[in-house]
Amino acid sequence: MIFHLDTSSEKAIGIAELQGRIDANNCNDLKKSFSQWLQYSSNIVFDCSGLEFIDSSGLGAIVDCLRKALEAHGDLRLSGLGPKVSLIFEITKAKKLFSMYPDSSSAVASFSLLGSV
Amino acid sequence: MKTIIITKKSDYTWLRDIFPGLHPLLIPLCNKPFIEYLIDFSILVGSSGLRIISDGVISDVENFCEHGSQWGVEISYANILPSESLSKVLEKNSRFCSGERIMIISGLLFIHYNKRSDYRSFFASLPPGEIFGCSNGNLSLTGVPSELGKQETPPLLSPVVLDCIGQYYELSNEILHHRLADYVLPGYSNEAECFIGRNVVLQKSVTVIKPIIIGNNVQIFTGSVIGPGAIIGSNVIVDRESTVSESIVMDNTFIGEQLEVDKKIAAGNLLIDPESGYSLTMEDPHLLSGIKSKGISGSPFQRVTHGLTAAWMIMLLLLPYLLLKPFLKLSGCWKTEKIVYHSMKHGKKISLNRVSIEKQSILASIAVFLSLDRFTWLFWVLNGHLAIIGCSPVSVSQGIQIINNNTAGYRPGVFSYSEAEDWPQNTFDSDIVDHYYAVHSNLIKDIFLTQKALFNRIHHEDKI
Repeated sequence: MIFHLDTSSEKAIGIAELQGRIDANNCNDLKKSFSQWLQYSSNIVFDCSGLEFIDSSGLGAIVDCLRKALEAHGDLRLSGLGPKVSLIFEITKAKKLFSMYPDSSSAVASFSLLGSV
Repeated sequence: MKTIIITKKSDYTWLRDIFPGLHPLLIPLCNKPFIEYLIDFSILVGSSGLRIISDGVISDVENFCEHGSQWGVEISYANILPSESLSKVLEKNSRFCSGERIMIISGLLFIHYNKRSDYRSFFASLPPGEIFGCSNGNLSLTGVPSELGKQETPPLLSPVVLDCIGQYYELSNEILHHRLADYVLPGYSNEAECFIGRNVVLQKSVTVIKPIIIGNNVQIFTGSVIGPGAIIGSNVIVDRESTVSESIVMDNTFIGEQLEVDKKIAAGNLLIDPESGYSLTMEDPHLLSGIKSKGISGSPFQRVTHGLTAAWMIMLLLLPYLLLKPFLKLSGCWKTEKIVYHSMKHGKKISLNRVSIEKQSILASIAVFLSLDRFTWLFWVLNGHLAIIGCSPVSVSQGIQIINNNTAGYRPGVFSYSEAEDWPQNTFDSDIVDHYYAVHSNLIKDIFLTQKALFNRIHHEDKI
């Protein structure tokens, strides 16, 4: 997981690149890392273009991250979801919880265009 | 007219990747195996014989179709090499063709038909050659056409080649949404656009929106929404508050709770998006998983006990059997009839001698007392085709539909539970008793009921 801040717009947006798998083995790492990332920005984009697989534990971790971001008066948006990962979001109805974008730049832009919380 | 169906491995590589182990001719379309549509069509065309030819293993198809007695058409099988051309195939099967008109269905070609239409005169009058053809399949005719009974308006035929998962999904959807009335489909249909199989449990507040097809042994839990456009196979569980719409759920699949399966194909733990062709193997058994068919042959300990009991009875009864049978046969009290029954092993059949003994003499009474009429059946317990006690075996002619549809609880036995409970044999009630115990039996019950069955047989009937 690589995290960096995008400061091209008026507010800093955190971008976390998720790669490989998120499952029961590493979902706690994501939760811990997310708490640290929130200290830099409450508006975060998960770039999922490198994400190959996610199971229900990973999905739970991402929903937990969303909850934390909302509690911090920010938002968590997803970008670049591959077709296989999308299937999980679709059947579990998690797709309805998140704002999704084709790539991270459009997700970052959405914070300034639509206005973040 | 005869029909030849040719499938080559190269026609269905896409299918093998998605459903390994499932022969393409057995892939279900609206819960009806693909081959059944082809058989129905060839019968409507007027075929008296059908040959299924493949360059792969077709034992599963053979087990399913057998010799075609279920459809009243003679079905035979042949193998070819992958490289063999159509002319070579026809040459190798020249005895089958023997100068008749031959309809050749090559590739995974589905032909839409209407069960009420008669295609015989139309196909008889068509000139030889290709009727429909594309890279992956074709429909053609050989032989001399007949001018008799030529139809003025030819029936509409619309062939579809199954060459990808998307095509399979579209075809299933088309049948479900627009052509349900054209085909004979499995399940009860008390109202239009709704086919429901046996042993389907819809819990309270389940919403069913037509059109739907549900197979056998299906449980839909509270608050779920099924349909519109849901095709649910056999041995499926849809957990609570889930939605299945415009989707195909294959046999032996568990759909977890609060899921939304829309425009998808779920097969075990495989979830497929037919539009994009992407598939995902789920690792969470509580979301989507395969269901192992429930074994009805009992626990291993139960099976071993049945086998040991059979072996003990064989040793005990061998001598009386060898001594009494010739006498009774000579005196005309011992009559046998060979009947083919469905075995406990799925898809297998066994040929049993059904013996009737008339209690006209003391020897006959002793034979009945010792249950010698069932003596030869005991050997089938040793190789697992029968249990010592179970359901009354179902003959092939009587119950082929039941067995082919995976009805749970079929465990044929040398003695039946309904005999033990003293129900009149071969009635609907005795079937229910047999079914109940086959599902709910255990070793203790089996021992107790076997004793009861033996006792009931001794003193109740003059003729067994």
